[in-house]
Amino acid sequence: MITRCRPLLGTFVEITAPEGHVSAVDAAFAAIAHVHARMSFHQDDSDLALLRKTSAGDVVRLDAETIRVLRLALDLHGQSGGLFDVAVVGPALVRSGFLPRCDIGRLSDYRGTSADLAILDDQHVRVEKRVLVDLGGIAKGHAVDRAVDVLQGMGVPEGLVNAGGDLRAFGDRDWPVALRDADDVARISVAARNCAIASSANLLNRRRHRGQPQSPHIGAQGRAVLCDERVTVVARLCAIADAMTKVAMADMPLAQRLLATYGGHALQTPHHESHT
Amino acid sequence: MSHRNWPVLAALPVLAVVAAPAWAADYMTVEQAQHALIPQAQAFTAIPLTLTPAQMTRIRQMSGTPQRTAQPKVWRAQRGAAMLGWIIVDEVIGKHEFITYATGISPDGHVLGVEILSYRESKGGQVRDPRWRDKFRGKTLADPFRLNQDIPNISGATLSSRNVTDGVKRLLAIHAVTLAHAG
Repeated sequence: MITRCRPLLGTFVEITAPEGHVSAVDAAFAAIAHVHARMSFHQDDSDLALLRKTSAGDVVRLDAETIRVLRLALDLHGQSGGLFDVAVVGPALVRSGFLPRCDIGRLSDYRGTSADLAILDDQHVRVEKRVLVDLGGIAKGHAVDRAVDVLQGMGVPEGLVNAGGDLRAFGDRDWPVALRDADDVARISVAARNCAIASSANLLNRRRHRGQPQSPHIGAQGRAVLCDERVTVVARLCAIADAMTKVAMADMPLAQRLLATYGGHALQTPHHESHT
Repeated sequence: MSHRNWPVLAALPVLAVVAAPAWAADYMTVEQAQHALIPQAQAFTAIPLTLTPAQMTRIRQMSGTPQRTAQPKVWRAQRGAAMLGWIIVDEVIGKHEFITYATGISPDGHVLGVEILSYRESKGGQVRDPRWRDKFRGKTLADPFRLNQDIPNISGATLSSRNVTDGVKRLLAIHAVTLAHAG
């Protein structure tokens, strides 16, 4: 096996494949680099920058992959009763300082929610109200899925793609995966086989804004979710696993219900005492 | 959405209690990174380079991060007489991590690619609970992660690659200050 690691999507992306598949690994990294370029919040030539520059009522042309991720995000928005909202996360994280201000003038100009995004076809979206979209809760998972598609499409029999903790394994074997708890300690290992695993935690990633503790995870009414435990979701697709960790952090019963339809489940973290 | 053929649901993760050591991974050697970043090159020649204090100040001003070493590790990539670019191997030290990475830079100062060579975590992964320490005393804690592979797969809160991104900017500044004129 070879493992390569590159800094992409704001984190470290690892791709593991059998020896002799280096060109497929390169192609898989290129697919991830494409997601990075199109769906970065920070880069001012990304689709998200285009989207936030679009005036209310206008139609904007985006990359087909961005549309694909937006479709899934809007579906999750509907299914979660509005809890998962890529347009609410943007302003909330800029306000709390987890995302940069970029070219954003007044945050109060961005009043749109996911409900104000109308996908017209595979390349066009109409923006009913101005939106500040952040795909940080789903794009990493999508990038992992794309990389796996590329690897499998190029005949790689087994492999693992890990975008900073959101990963997907494929092939006829078990992959040992350590779960890093919210306090940064890995206590548990699971065997992954043909599935995606995503984890979220924010115990060690908090900051204060106007005296209130903030985290990079946003729940109902745009409020930060302060969750002291790691949340781990197993699903077929990494985009689902990634997105559902955000739902699970805010509302675990809802996440369990949704995962039953999307295919997957949240891992219950055993209490440490049960292993002593 | 179909519910058939979903090995994911069958493959209920087997919970195994292990204590991960501080995460460490070696991905590539310098030589592998050179060829990965500039595959057309036939030769990589080490370039002895010593930055003057003025150059180091300039690099800091241009990149926003301090240049720690006065002697960056630089190679010139060539194919015959043609100069294809530069490879710089650098290290960034964060609050929790120590990362060695290689960056390919074109003759006109564009990033050709970045490869992580190794990643070391300086903290994290320790077993803090004494009951756990006792449980695992005398065992090689790394073993569970070495089944069929060298790199431990970790799922957890996302690690930021900000330090490396800032480092790459600094290497571009080294290029602009010194190498851009060196051909």
